[in-house]
Amino acid sequence: MAETSDPRPDGSGVSPSFLRDARGLQRKLVEEYYARLGSPDRSRPVAYMLVGGNLAEIVRSFGYEVVFPEIVALNCAIKHQSLDNILHAESMGYGLDVCGYVKNDLGLQDRDGRTSFGQIPRPDLLVCSFSGCYVYVKWWEALAESYGVPLFMFDVPYMREEHPRKEDIDYLVSQLWDLIHLLEKRTGRAFDMDALKGMLVESRRAEDGWVDFLRAGRLRPSPIEAYFESIFYMFPINVLRGTREAADFYGVVNEEVRARVRDRTYPLPEEKVRVLVEGVPPYTNYRTFWDFFRKWGAVSVVATYPKVGGLFDRGFRHDPARPFESIAEYSLGAYVNQSWPLRRKIIADYVREYRADAAIIHGIKSCRSFTAGQGDLRDWLNRDQGLPTLYIESDHEDPRYFAPAQIKNRMDAFFESLEQRRAVGAAGGPATA
Amino acid sequence: MADLLAIQDPPPERADAVEGDRVELAADFREFGDAHSIEEILRLAREVLGDPTFPTARAWRKAGGRAVGCFPVYTPQEIVHSFGLLPVALSGGGENLEISRADAALGSFLCSISKSTLEAALTGLLEPFDAYLFPYICDVSRNLEGIFSRVLPSRPSHMLHLPQNFTSPSAIPFLVAEYRSLIAKLERLTDRPFSPEQLGRSIELFNEQRALVARLAALQRDAPGKIGLVEYYLLRRLGGLLPREVHIPLLRRALAEIERRERKNKDAIPILLVGPFCEQPTLDLLQLIEDVGCYVVGDELQMLHHWCPSIVPGPDPLESLATAYLRTPVDIGVRLTPTTKGAAIQARLDAARAQGVVFLTAKFCEPALEDVVLYRRALEHRRVPYLHMEFEEKSTTYEQARLQLETFVESILFD
Ligand code: SF4
Ligand code: SF4
Repeated sequence: MAETSDPRPDGSGVSPSFLRDARGLQRKLVEEYYARLGSPDRSRPVAYMLVGGNLAEIVRSFGYEVVFPEIVALNCAIKHQSLDNILHAESMGYGLDVCGYVKNDLGLQDRDGRTSFGQIPRPDLLVCSFSGCYVYVKWWEALAESYGVPLFMFDVPYMREEHPRKEDIDYLVSQLWDLIHLLEKRTGRAFDMDALKGMLVESRRAEDGWVDFLRAGRLRPSPIEAYFESIFYMFPINVLRGTREAADFYGVVNEEVRARVRDRTYPLPEEKVRVLVEGVPPYTNYRTFWDFFRKWGAVSVVATYPKVGGLFDRGFRHDPARPFESIAEYSLGAYVNQSWPLRRKIIADYVREYRADAAIIHGIKSCRSFTAGQGDLRDWLNRDQGLPTLYIESDHEDPRYFAPAQIKNRMDAFFESLEQRRAVGAAGGPATA
Repeated sequence: MADLLAIQDPPPERADAVEGDRVELAADFREFGDAHSIEEILRLAREVLGDPTFPTARAWRKAGGRAVGCFPVYTPQEIVHSFGLLPVALSGGGENLEISRADAALGSFLCSISKSTLEAALTGLLEPFDAYLFPYICDVSRNLEGIFSRVLPSRPSHMLHLPQNFTSPSAIPFLVAEYRSLIAKLERLTDRPFSPEQLGRSIELFNEQRALVARLAALQRDAPGKIGLVEYYLLRRLGGLLPREVHIPLLRRALAEIERRERKNKDAIPILLVGPFCEQPTLDLLQLIEDVGCYVVGDELQMLHHWCPSIVPGPDPLESLATAYLRTPVDIGVRLTPTTKGAAIQARLDAARAQGVVFLTAKFCEPALEDVVLYRRALEHRRVPYLHMEFEEKSTTYEQARLQLETFVESILFD
């Protein structure tokens, strides 16, 4: 099985003609963001927030800078800095089983917030959007104790039906007003509805562009890598949503995707297997993990992880005409805030819409929210949906749990058996997996 | 692999996963009515706990009753009761359940209670239940409900979102709406309309049970010499398994006997037992804590009985339930702390006049584990001795635990 040639200077092996302008722009946005956060003359107060169900537009409309410790943690992992933070957190008493994001963050803050990509400022306010992960509550409690700053708890009902109840929206909207009053008190500024609506216009524009990008995975061959490439492009939709830069960014991305289709520049020279990927990536080794796919001509055409910040591809948009209601609806839509029956439905729809041939589930040892039940999901995909599915496990933050030889062997065996089954099918034998 | 999640229907007569004999109780629970000494009650309790086939739920069914399995920590059992259903606390498989199938479905790095509960579902042991109720106490319990909905499709399960915002005035109508979603399922299950009057009566009954449990806890705190930790635990544990109408008189009799005891307090160290709010430690481990010279004067065992002291009746019983849940500050790993962990543990130490803390956390229980770090920091700051131990349902050797506990006790005695 030939590997894609033309390695990048960073050794990733990914074609430079595949990742071009958009990747460069994304890097620039990331650098500018961290430079702003670390700037010594920063005058804006800082709010910490979680990605799922976040209230970035509201908080930004009061002039806050927003820090997402999950994003900082994954940046640390990609840059191979997470282990030091994790070990430090373990020395503080956090056990092996605690979520790697939490340990990275708490270890990092105890080491004064210094990273190679910037200084992470201390928070003035903690906004916990409890949307899909109970660890959020524990994490924010720990931050509140160590920083001694107020914690606003935004309690987001877990989604068990496809549509929220009126009481869910009422509850959420009422909490949003409580947050507004808190922000008014803390900043001495009056709430500016027009400023919020203006941001929601930009959010919506970014969401349209992001969804266009994700849906390109439906093309055959897919011009995008819906898992590994999305990891880069999630940054603007999750971190910078509500800004013009984020909305413009997806214009550049989609222009590039159109150019790929025109020029027939695809993630791989030949798309042999269209894969659905479920689960958080092993950020510490994600390029190695990507190589394990590429070796077999496997392209991820759709993935659940990019939906952690919101299910925009299922139709949701922020709406300046219904600012509070739409923010409330948004907060419910984090992928992990969907019950297993809803997750299964989303995945079944993806398999059909994106014509996936197989699924890879990547379980995270220290993340129960995403992972508890993925074994059952594998069984359901294999048995009930007839989709060949492989479950592998490592960690998103902790490189000690990434066993490359073991993961590669399992993926090789999986893709090989898929190839064999296809060969038998092509020769007139049983075609299903 | 092919039959990984196949549920036998009807379930097997006897699941292979179970070790030991099944306990058969009379449909009217007369064994408990006839048990007049604490020894007799405790013997029955041990038998019931040793049998993971839910003997009390099976007995209830013999008389045509229906039962609902309720996962810890807090569920509105009064609502279940008001439909004539028996709410039964699911407290894991204990020591007598082998896990063979749940690992593959649920994943590794998870607490034993989640695995043994799923194992029980996969092997037909949850057959005595007509429905299951899971509160959103953590991501594991929440996801477990999602798996139940697939592996036991013919038995309704319900995930209850318990609010984490305790100050919002809208949390009460929200929680009432949550209760109403549960009620809709129970109405379908029982073919009976919800009756607020009946719920009011159920609340009164559970208040009675709570008051007795509180009396028991006060005895354990103020006169620990009179009651052993395992006794105390078993009496409370029965309260989540038996019909409350059976448990209440039983507890009254037990209390009267304990209160009459002439035993003096020993020279033991009064401690708080923090962490086992969901998965339950073995009886041997509890016994060991006492054997090494500790009195447990405050704990998180069997929280279902003392989440709220008493539910104040009001014109709308659902609102009363919701108000009690939201307005009772409880410091526990699965609820946003109302103050700080430092303030919380100090208040509990003061209230119980405890000298130290034993953290007994279920292995892989992230909510408990994360709290321990904050609690420890606060205790070190206040120079309060503590010990942290992890446990699993199927703990068999206790040498290490004994050593740790003995060292802890000695360090306090000779400090
Ligand atoms: S969803 Fe998983 S990775 Fe994210 S904070 Fe929760 S436990 Fe950690
Ligand atoms: S023991 Fe802990 S992790 Fe397990 S279900 Fe209970 S609260 Fe959740």
